[in-house]
Amino acid sequence: MADDRAPRIRPRNLSARVVGNPPTSTADDAVANCYPGLELDVRNLDRRFFPGLVVDFVARDDNESPYSQPEIYGGLVRYVDFSDPDLTDDPADPTAHRALDEVRKALVAALAANGDSLGAGGWYLDWVEQAGRRIGFRGHEGSGITYLDGLFVWRIVRGLDPVDRVSAGRPSAREGNLVTVGLVHRPSGETLTLRGWRRRFTDPVTGVISLAYQPGELLQSLCSPWQHDFRDCGCHYWAANHPDVVFGEVRAGEQELPDGSPVQSERAQTLIDWLRADRDPRRAAAAREYVDFNRPYQLDFFQINHAWQDLAFVVDGTEIGDEFVPDHAPPSPRPFGSPGELAAVLRDQLAPLELTLALEYLYARFSVLEPDEAAALLPGTTLADDVTFVRHFLLLTAVSEMQHLRNANLLLRLLHEHGLVPGPFEPVTRPSPTVPGPGGGRRRERSLRPLTLHVIEDFIAIERPDATIDATYERVAATLAQPEYPRDLSQIGERILKDGNDHYSRFRDLHRVLRQSYGENEPWLRPLRAGTPDECATSLDLVRRIVAGLDDAYRDEATSRYTPARKHLTGARLAMDELEREGQALARCGIGICFWDAW
Amino acid sequence: MTTVAVAAPRRRAAVPASLHPFRSGAGAHLLVVDGSRVFDIDDELYSALVDAVAADLDPLRDPDLAQAFGMTGRPVVGSEPLAPPPVTALSLNVVHACNLACTYCYADGGDFGGPSLRMAEGTAERAVRMLVEGAEPGARVHVAFLGGEPLLHRSLVRHATEHARRLGAERGVATTFAITTNGTLVTSEDAAFFGEHAFAVTVSVDGVGDAHNGLRPTRAGRPTYDGIARGLGALLAAGVRPHARVTVTPRNLHLRSTLVGLLDAGFTSVGFSPMLASPTGADELSPADLVTFLDEMVECARLFEDAVLAGKELGFANAATALQEIHRGTARPYACGAGAGYLSVGAEGSLSACHRFVNEPAGAMGSLDAGVDDERRARWLAGRHVHRQQPCAGCWARYLCGGGCHHEVLARGRPACEYVLGWLDHCLGMYVRLLDARPDWFAGGGPGR
Repeated sequence: MADDRAPRIRPRNLSARVVGNPPTSTADDAVANCYPGLELDVRNLDRRFFPGLVVDFVARDDNESPYSQPEIYGGLVRYVDFSDPDLTDDPADPTAHRALDEVRKALVAALAANGDSLGAGGWYLDWVEQAGRRIGFRGHEGSGITYLDGLFVWRIVRGLDPVDRVSAGRPSAREGNLVTVGLVHRPSGETLTLRGWRRRFTDPVTGVISLAYQPGELLQSLCSPWQHDFRDCGCHYWAANHPDVVFGEVRAGEQELPDGSPVQSERAQTLIDWLRADRDPRRAAAAREYVDFNRPYQLDFFQINHAWQDLAFVVDGTEIGDEFVPDHAPPSPRPFGSPGELAAVLRDQLAPLELTLALEYLYARFSVLEPDEAAALLPGTTLADDVTFVRHFLLLTAVSEMQHLRNANLLLRLLHEHGLVPGPFEPVTRPSPTVPGPGGGRRRERSLRPLTLHVIEDFIAIERPDATIDATYERVAATLAQPEYPRDLSQIGERILKDGNDHYSRFRDLHRVLRQSYGENEPWLRPLRAGTPDECATSLDLVRRIVAGLDDAYRDEATSRYTPARKHLTGARLAMDELEREGQALARCGIGICFWDAW
Repeated sequence: MTTVAVAAPRRRAAVPASLHPFRSGAGAHLLVVDGSRVFDIDDELYSALVDAVAADLDPLRDPDLAQAFGMTGRPVVGSEPLAPPPVTALSLNVVHACNLACTYCYADGGDFGGPSLRMAEGTAERAVRMLVEGAEPGARVHVAFLGGEPLLHRSLVRHATEHARRLGAERGVATTFAITTNGTLVTSEDAAFFGEHAFAVTVSVDGVGDAHNGLRPTRAGRPTYDGIARGLGALLAAGVRPHARVTVTPRNLHLRSTLVGLLDAGFTSVGFSPMLASPTGADELSPADLVTFLDEMVECARLFEDAVLAGKELGFANAATALQEIHRGTARPYACGAGAGYLSVGAEGSLSACHRFVNEPAGAMGSLDAGVDDERRARWLAGRHVHRQQPCAGCWARYLCGGGCHHEVLARGRPACEYVLGWLDHCLGMYVRLLDARPDWFAGGGPGR
């Protein structure tokens, strides 16, 4: 194969090439449920469980059957379908049951005699009987009659056995599977009994769905997240996933701040409703804090089917107009001159820096109030929610930096393994003493600081897509993409690169939201000072355990000892959890962990 | 990382093989046992998987690998035995007698160790009716005529065929026919009849000329090959494309010359069956013979592969069938349809799991009088499931092989596993090579089949 990037697993024979659900999938494997779902509402099969009848299962939770009307619950006969293939003897239909001729003829006659009445409404399933067992759908409560909820009726109907396949000489088995249904008219009390069978929904050999079902019938009542359900669908299915609030469009020529936001500070910090019905930019008002409050001003169900094209694309939380101009044109990264140079950058710059950043973010996180403290401090505000978000984001970002540390070590190790750099692999698990300055400027000392707005700005500058770290990773990826480097290496390089962009935009959102909500007050902060090594002895011990665990694991992986490597990694992870708890306890006493003293 | 994937799974005792890494000369490949799925893999993954299999690890317990190989759903083949399905194929043992006296015959010279019997017309009619009436309109049923030598009772073959045709037409059920004959009694009238009803004709023949004569003499000890050659001529003249079925014994192990000779003689395709269990033990292949047998089969397969690569046809049925099954991803927990969709009717109206179990209680499945014994079928299918067989349950080839011929296994166990594994491994490699070179061969279903 000419393309050395071709996937290393390629399906060949027909069973390996099957795309989508495995051949053993059945309808029961679907996410489907009996509420409007995305794949299949199984009630749509059961509504035709009995040849000729079309039944709707009216349940308490349905839109049109309120709690106050229990008398309309149950299995309601909608109409009689005389074109039902189970009622005809058309041999072209594989689900027709010729051997049930007698039963079928009697059923057709009974339906013909009562079809008009059954279709007129008011007829409900009263009981079903199969194999000598009958289940009723009515109960008595005090002096009155109660009706089983449609969902319960459906569940019982669903339990009926289908008619046997017509096979050689077993009439008795078929007889046993016949189904009798009792119908009752509400409120007159008139009754009717029909004898038939439970339809086979699919042909047992071919899997073809019974021809009784009309096109679209099995999909009715399902969500349309591509259409009008797009507005309200809350299940985060990808088709319905959309932002609630966004920042307004920055128009061409409009002056921007270095972080990419418009100069006009009010607009820079005003979140507007993405689904707003009034699309005039001059009238874009700030979105209110809950979706429900914004509902009246949004495109309605019908409108959205026609106004898809008016909804704006959103990049980094900001609407963009007809033309998107990236705020920085990426220069082509320059590969490093040699594997040795690349290894030196990974070893001396990137890996140590990742560890330093992880710890800076973690320290900043300990400076943020916990939700219960925030709620006590500013009751009735969204501060508790905001700190929950901030803390979660900082933790994710710190974890992500640790992943980068692992990847940088992995790259280093592979460079050694492939013989691209000489000598044995040595893991890097020491933090960098300095951090690159903004815009490639002077490096600053590493620093453990609380999460002030100023510090967030510093973090944004570090994670900015064209800042030093990112540019260095671009050079790493460009180096690894060269043909002399093995394919697995370049994939790792690309992965790290993609991850960095996310940090940048998230820090930027964080800054905007906090500043918009709280101005310069910074109420999310708790008083925090860096502790002494004595105060932080337990935490520092944990940090050393984590670092030693990682060091051991990287060494084990380098010698293919994966089981011990896994043990070391698990140990490090457990210690990280412990460090989180310990750091939190210290933070509540106003003490931050003096991380650098662990080395 | 490959290495991680292999390090991750837990070791457990007697892991059923979930995969079989193999090489084809065109690279490294993998058979995923469940669903018989074939993949190309790179050398690194191949080595890792080979190591894992050698260490009795199951790499597919790693979720990433399982995902990559489409193993996230329910298994294609479960342990649940097949419920007795509708019977769609019957063989009629129209006469328990034969004009030949083959040394190894499973039917003890045609009479199944009992008196010579001829099937009555009424018996054949009832059997055919049971088959056709049990089928859904639009379905297809299959009738095979066996013996003894079925042409010793040709009137019944004709009668049953015409009866099945009539009944099938009435009910909208398609009927297909097959006959297995020793070829010595085929007349031009027979051949015309077979052609008219599109019979699949199989001739039992063990070689060309004397190679055949030694194994398949008449009861009087006379040679029979010339008689077959005459029958073959009649079949070819009627446009029938006969298939040769060669029973391989220690006395005719030169498969390559047999294959070429029989194809030259006019057979459309040739298939080899090793003699593993005969009623008297005569002419069974020994373990050493089976090694030779595998070598010879591989020789024939090379011949076949070269022919396909050259765009020609070579009717080596074992290879063609194996390739098509691998291509489709056939994965079955039974070696054949015996006792499931296929039953055999004895001359006096008994029903058996297959033609080899006629007159044997182990495979009795009722009778035309009492009806199909579905309880016995259910027990049979539960007991014969490959997950219930040893060492099959843990074998990588379990869903391609299915556990081997039930009759032979019950009589002699599984002496040929090494052969089966070697043969399938060779066919897997051949499959990948031919799929690259001749994808059209697979698209068309393969020639000569």
